[in-house]
Amino acid sequence: MNNGRFIVHAAISIGLLVAAMLGVAYPVAAHHAFAAEFDGKAPVLLRGKVNKVEWINPHAWVHLVVLGPDGKGQEWMVEAGTPNTLARAGIDRNSLRPGMEIVVRGYQSLDRSCIPVCKANGRDITFPDGRKAFMGSSGTGAPKDGADPNERQ
Amino acid sequence: MEQLLTWLQHGLGKGAGDTAQSWSETLLGSLHFWSLLEGTHLLTLMLFVGTILVVDLRLLGVIFRRTRVSLVSEAILPLTMFGFAFMVITGLTLVFAKPLFYYHNIWFRLKMLLLVLALVNVWVFHSHIQKSQGAWDAEPVPPGKVRAAAALSLLSWIAVIACGRFIAYDWFACGKPQSTFINAVEACKASEEGAYSLQGKRLN
Repeated sequence: MNNGRFIVHAAISIGLLVAAMLGVAYPVAAHHAFAAEFDGKAPVLLRGKVNKVEWINPHAWVHLVVLGPDGKGQEWMVEAGTPNTLARAGIDRNSLRPGMEIVVRGYQSLDRSCIPVCKANGRDITFPDGRKAFMGSSGTGAPKDGADPNERQ
Repeated sequence: MEQLLTWLQHGLGKGAGDTAQSWSETLLGSLHFWSLLEGTHLLTLMLFVGTILVVDLRLLGVIFRRTRVSLVSEAILPLTMFGFAFMVITGLTLVFAKPLFYYHNIWFRLKMLLLVLALVNVWVFHSHIQKSQGAWDAEPVPPGKVRAAAALSLLSWIAVIACGRFIAYDWFACGKPQSTFINAVEACKASEEGAYSLQGKRLN
C-alpha cells in the first residue's frame, strides 16, 4: 500500500470514527436539540390567557399573555411538540382554545431579549379544570424533570 | 416574490368561512402527512448522497480501484436517480408548507446557492469531463480533473445537507435582534417577523 492511499484510508477511518462517536453521544436527538435554543437552567412558570395557538409542524406554538406584578401583559410563545404528539397527549384545537387561562411549565430561550415576544420550551400544561398534560417532545435533551411520562431514567 | 409566496402560503386553496385554511396551512398543520414527507425527504437524500459517495470515492481512486468506473457508475446511477426524484419532490412539497419561512431563512438561501454549485458540477462532469472517460475508465486513480470534480461533488452535497439541517435552528431567525448584515441577507424587513437591530430597535 502506497503512502497516498494510506493517508486517504486513514482520513476516511477517522471521519467515520468521529461520526460514530457523535452518533453515540446523541442517540435520541429529535427534530432539534433542546440545548441549541433553550436554557435548562432557566425554568419558567407561566400563568396566563391563551392568545393563539399555531398548530404547525414540526413544533406547535402556544402564545399566552402573562400579567406581571405591575398589571402589564407580556406575551410569551411556548414551543410544544408536533400536532400529532399533542393530540395523543389530549391537547388539540378543542381542548386548548384562545381565551383559556392555563399554566405552563418550561424553560426560557437562551436569547432573553423577549423581542418581539418572550420565548420558552414548554414541558407541561395545566388546563383550567386542573388536568395536566405533557406538551413537549421526548428525547430532545431537555432536563429530566419528570414532565415527560415516557422518559427513561 | 413576497406577494407570490404569501399567496402560496395563505391564499391558494382557501375556502369560505373564518376557519378555512389554505392548502399550505393544512399541510403544515397535518397530523401525519408532514412527518411522512420529512421522513421520506431524509431517507431519499441519504440514498441519493450515499450512492454519490460510492461513485465519487471510485473516481477519487479510493475504493473499487480494479473495477472500471463505468461498471460502478452504471450499476449505481439508477439508485441515485430514484433517490433524487423523491428527494426533490418531497423537498419542494416541504417548501410549499412554509414558503415565507424558507424564503427568509439564511440557511435555506445558502443551501440553494450550494445546490446550484453542486448541480453545475454535475453538468460540467457529464458534458465535459466524461467525454474523455474512455481514456481513464480502467485507471485505478483517474486524472486530476476527474478527482477534483469528485471532491467538489462530495464537499458540495455534504454542505447542502449541513445547511438543510441548520434550517431547523432559530439562531438567525428574522425578528431576532441581529446584525444589519444578517437582516439584509435574509431580507428580514419584508418578512412577517420584521427586522430588529442588535440593540433591539425595530428597523421597519
